[in-house]
Amino acid sequence: MLRHVVQRLLLTVPVMLGVLLIGFLLMQVVPTDPAIVRAGPTATPDVVEAIRRDLGLDEPLWVQFGTYLWRLLQGDLGVSIINNVAVTQELGATIGPTLELMFASLFWSIPIGIALGTVAAYFRGSVLDRFVTALSVAGGSVPVFFLGLVLIWFVGFRWQLLPFTGRAGPLWTIEGWQAVALPALTLGGVFIAPVARMTRTAVLEVLGAEHVRTARAKGLTERAVVLRHALRNALIPVVTLIGLQIGFLLGGAVVTETVFSWPGVGRLAVGAILSSDFPMAQGTIIVLSLGFILINLVVDVLYVALDPRMRGA
Amino acid sequence: MSVASLNSAAAAAATPVAPSAPRRPGTLRRLLREPVAAFAFAVAVLLVLAAVLAPWLAPTDPYDNNLSSAMAVPGTEGLPLGADSQGRDMVTRMLFGLRVTLVMGLASVLLGGTVGAAIGFIAAFYRRVDGLLMRLMDVLLSFPAILFGLAIAAIFGPGIPAVVLALSVATVPLMARIVRGAALVVMRMDYIEAARATGMGDARLIFRHVAPNCLSPIFVFATLRFGQVILLGSALSFLGLGAQPPVPELGAMAADGRNFLFFAPHIAVLPCVAIFVVVLTFNLLGDALRDALDPRLRI
Repeated sequence: MLRHVVQRLLLTVPVMLGVLLIGFLLMQVVPTDPAIVRAGPTATPDVVEAIRRDLGLDEPLWVQFGTYLWRLLQGDLGVSIINNVAVTQELGATIGPTLELMFASLFWSIPIGIALGTVAAYFRGSVLDRFVTALSVAGGSVPVFFLGLVLIWFVGFRWQLLPFTGRAGPLWTIEGWQAVALPALTLGGVFIAPVARMTRTAVLEVLGAEHVRTARAKGLTERAVVLRHALRNALIPVVTLIGLQIGFLLGGAVVTETVFSWPGVGRLAVGAILSSDFPMAQGTIIVLSLGFILINLVVDVLYVALDPRMRGA
Repeated sequence: MSVASLNSAAAAAATPVAPSAPRRPGTLRRLLREPVAAFAFAVAVLLVLAAVLAPWLAPTDPYDNNLSSAMAVPGTEGLPLGADSQGRDMVTRMLFGLRVTLVMGLASVLLGGTVGAAIGFIAAFYRRVDGLLMRLMDVLLSFPAILFGLAIAAIFGPGIPAVVLALSVATVPLMARIVRGAALVVMRMDYIEAARATGMGDARLIFRHVAPNCLSPIFVFATLRFGQVILLGSALSFLGLGAQPPVPELGAMAADGRNFLFFAPHIAVLPCVAIFVVVLTFNLLGDALRDALDPRLRI
């Protein structure tokens, strides 16, 4: 177990360095010269040259990469070209809302997805199963922004039930809860399909297993067989698969944030790219990538921890 | 993108969905026996035809605007699907949007799929590089497509090429894994041993004997991936990272329509419905193709 964790950690180091190198090179290929930007439009060539020396831009690339890593370790991701705010400050302000949105989406979609998948597997081949399968195929084909726009139009605009722009406060306040409702319905709505599909497959597999037959043979109620013996075992792959779907969730979150003007990291990244704010774009992309590497690491370790059979592998 | 290149690319769009491509006879017949599959196949053919024939089917030019009919609702005389915010005919925009979106998806699957398949064959064939290649693929696989989209749009600037590149990169590791798995199974067969014994070179062995027997999983994956790629690509365009206005691309059209959602919902809804239909069609077709080509994979 410990060996596995150490191995995974060691594998992560070169990947992280690779991400940082790509992030660093991103700033080398963009068409703007940071020295000129910093100096302003009226600066003389002498001044630009002085700033270039000051920023260390006249050093060889590998020295610059070292300096960049060193600054990164100190939590310095540079400053936005557009409004001069520190990238870390903007990131700090937007990560919370993004996690909030993801949490609120998973909170309702995972139980429903698991329930649908279990019911479909139990009544395999029935009308109910066909309905759930059709629903998950159709659900997996809906663009996130389509669902968002439909909800905005009906719930927000036509019926005026819930707000549909921005965030109004933390989740535990009524206003905050109301503001996150539509974005979370949107993002969770597209997440139900993969969860239901994965659960159905996992439960089907377990229902055919011998321990389930034994449970039935000793006269347990169907309820106990399905909930305690089948679903519980099926949940191991489902939990890890959901962990691996976090990437899918992030993709949906970026779009959802844009549709609902939700002040999250995804919207920050897209806005930075569209306004050519390179330090901000670089910072958000690096932080999101590193976040991913960490999530994958945790999911991988969890997988082994949850399923003893994986330990030798 | 020039009209000529659009034409040839759209024509090629028919290739990965044509189930007759794998050489076993009867695949198409088996596919069409299922009513859902037959329906999906028919819709896919219609969609590809509409995209290929868009310049001839469309009543106007996709960039022709007529501000007097801006935001005209569907059913207006001469505008069966209405007009967009610039007064451009929605029928025309949808046809060309379908064309651009399908070409974008096809280019991504072809580019990413080819590179991925090559890596998969190399990994299966040369076991010394297998570990390294597959670790690299694992690394690529650990990042979501949206991150590639963001990073590549940041480096090269938003546009269709950036989206195609991002989706290709995201497709490479998936295809590599599938092809490697299929190739490893094929390479354990006796006829490969026999071919090797005749002194056949590696390249010939791969192209003549291994690759043709890996076509089924490749076609199934490419079809399913085509739908996913279109979903991802239209989302990137919706964000403004892909096709730039006024280029008719379904995701970009939906983004434009979003600004007029409360006055003229059809501008956003029609492209959204089109994306849904395209993705659903290819998802159903991919599932059906999997069942028809390889019943063992049926879940």
